[in-house]
Amino acid sequence: MSRLTSDVIHYGKQYLRSKIGLFFAVLFPILLILVFGAIFTGGGDSKINLNVQNLDGGPMADVLIDNLNKSETFNLIEVPTNESITEYIKNNSLTVAMVIPENFTADINARLMNSSITGYVNVTIYGDPSKTTYSIALGATGAITNGMNFGLANATPIVGAEGKTISENSKFNYMDFYLPGIIGMTVMTNALFAMSSNCAEYRQRNYFKLLATTNIKKWEWLVSKFIFYTALLSLSLVLTYLVGVAVFDMKSVLTPMAFVLIAAGAFTFTALGMLLGVFIKDPESAVAVANAVGFPMMFLSGSFFPLEMMPSYLQSVANVLPLTYLNNGLRDTMVYLNDGSALVNLAVVFACGMIFFVLASKLMSWKEK
Amino acid sequence: MAETVVRVENLKKHYPPNVKAVDDISFDIGRGTIFSMLGPNGAGKTTTVEILEGLRNPTSGSAHVLDTDIFKDYSKIRKRVGTLPQDFEPFDLLKPWEAIGYWANLYDIKLSKKEINDLLESVNLTERKNLMSKKLSGGEKRKLGIALSLVNNPELLFLDEPTTGLDPKARRDLWNLIGVIRDKGTTIFLTTHYLDEAEKLSDNVAIMHRGRIIARGAPDDLIEKHGRCTTIVLEGTGKAGLAKLKQMGVEAKLDEMDDRNVLVDVKKHSEMKSTMAKLTNSDVPMDDIYTMRETLEDVFLNLIGSKMEEGVLKE
Repeated sequence: MSRLTSDVIHYGKQYLRSKIGLFFAVLFPILLILVFGAIFTGGGDSKINLNVQNLDGGPMADVLIDNLNKSETFNLIEVPTNESITEYIKNNSLTVAMVIPENFTADINARLMNSSITGYVNVTIYGDPSKTTYSIALGATGAITNGMNFGLANATPIVGAEGKTISENSKFNYMDFYLPGIIGMTVMTNALFAMSSNCAEYRQRNYFKLLATTNIKKWEWLVSKFIFYTALLSLSLVLTYLVGVAVFDMKSVLTPMAFVLIAAGAFTFTALGMLLGVFIKDPESAVAVANAVGFPMMFLSGSFFPLEMMPSYLQSVANVLPLTYLNNGLRDTMVYLNDGSALVNLAVVFACGMIFFVLASKLMSWKEK
Repeated sequence: MAETVVRVENLKKHYPPNVKAVDDISFDIGRGTIFSMLGPNGAGKTTTVEILEGLRNPTSGSAHVLDTDIFKDYSKIRKRVGTLPQDFEPFDLLKPWEAIGYWANLYDIKLSKKEINDLLESVNLTERKNLMSKKLSGGEKRKLGIALSLVNNPELLFLDEPTTGLDPKARRDLWNLIGVIRDKGTTIFLTTHYLDEAEKLSDNVAIMHRGRIIARGAPDDLIEKHGRCTTIVLEGTGKAGLAKLKQMGVEAKLDEMDDRNVLVDVKKHSEMKSTMAKLTNSDVPMDDIYTMRETLEDVFLNLIGSKMEEGVLKE
């Protein structure tokens, strides 16, 4: 058996015998896809609780409330009219509430009767701007009041907007877009965390010195890790994908390019882990350093949230992270079936990997100074 | 004189600004012998071994191992040398038989199942071969380390503090194992801070202190050269017997620990037989007579001025 093959097999045996390693490589991404899938596609009651204080009580207020109910966006909860709305919000820790003002009906009627009276007759939406429920409530209420305006004006809307998924296959669901992020994250965490702590452990236990007394070369040792993680993470990809298809009816496609991207990601992040390992003296520090590098990358590279949601300066940061390109590449090939674009992302991932590999090979010494 | 396997001349390893880890040492090791480098922690033993293993570059000096200038081309002799580093810990999640097969592969050697079993047998790990290495005892882990260092059937074996931290029984087991390896013709370079270990195992010893070799030779020669003497103990002789000995012209003194005993120091080994005969043939009263030989520990104390416990010098 060659040095390389033997190192792959025996490193693999150790990794797979470590229950933690196996958990994070294989079970964790499956758990993530199940948990996120349950949250986002579970079919639970996704309506927003909207507390409404109707200070008007007139027919126009009733029409509005009827339209709010029909929208299927809200569960309406009545707020007593004798309560101060701000106190009520505080006392009940509400994230969003609506007040229909006194004279709502009268003011609308006045404007209908006399066109010289201008200005909106507003309902007020109270809420916490940091919560998505507030912005959803604001948007939905705006659309509903706009619909009321058309009704009052006896007008028929002409211009509209139709929602469609951006994929050619309209059957894609949220999880199809989410899966590549989970896979990218799994590739990054397993290769990066394991390699940085392996390097620290090998140094602390003098394994590097031992290896240096044998015939194996540094590059062979790193390539062996790359081969192992590519195989392991490809298996993880297939299992996670199959679970996603079976449980959430995902329609994304497991393309050959996805496996190539997994290989490139494994290469890049094993090399980055080895590079970090150059500077890490013990396994405890390795965990801290890997966390410091890995976690920001995980969140900033679009694994969980679309990059567009982030401020522009964070998007600039994301643009220099290799995981961003791995995630984008996986989405390109698995969701959009756009291997041309995936190839560009693959090239960036691979280029980053080569830089890390060369630096790690140069800087890491198995010998003492 | 046995063929020289290791020849070191004027070897130095200095670190800036002025740390002299190894300071101009020279020695050689004959084939099939056990050479021990003895000294406290920080004496420069491991640095020396690691230079000879090709793991560190020296500041200056020369070193030939197995007729090869190791600073020019260590790769030539890599397969002829075995190594057990300090504080060796095996791969936790490999079984001993797997670890041996793996390690042999890293030397481009394919061991058969029988060869692996023979190696395990030679280090008395046959019954533990299917256990995860992390479950082995400290002594068994070192034995596995020695087994790994033997996968390439080395002509020269470096054992860097192989028994440090082990209990007395495990240490004795390893001593036996090291003796067996030497008897098969392997040359062994051992570093240790256990004086009894060096004295029991070694054909030659170099005592190292602060980067320098301060004494070198066979243990008996070192004891004779640097020890004070061998002492003859006359049990039950007491003060009366002491007076009689002095009348005979024998230099003697009362044992400070037990004044019923009288001590006679013999400076040279060559004088032992005649002095012993003189005492046993005299009419000096005694219940028993025996010798108390100085050890490397006494030599170390004489040379360094301190005792050593677990590698640490004690005032």
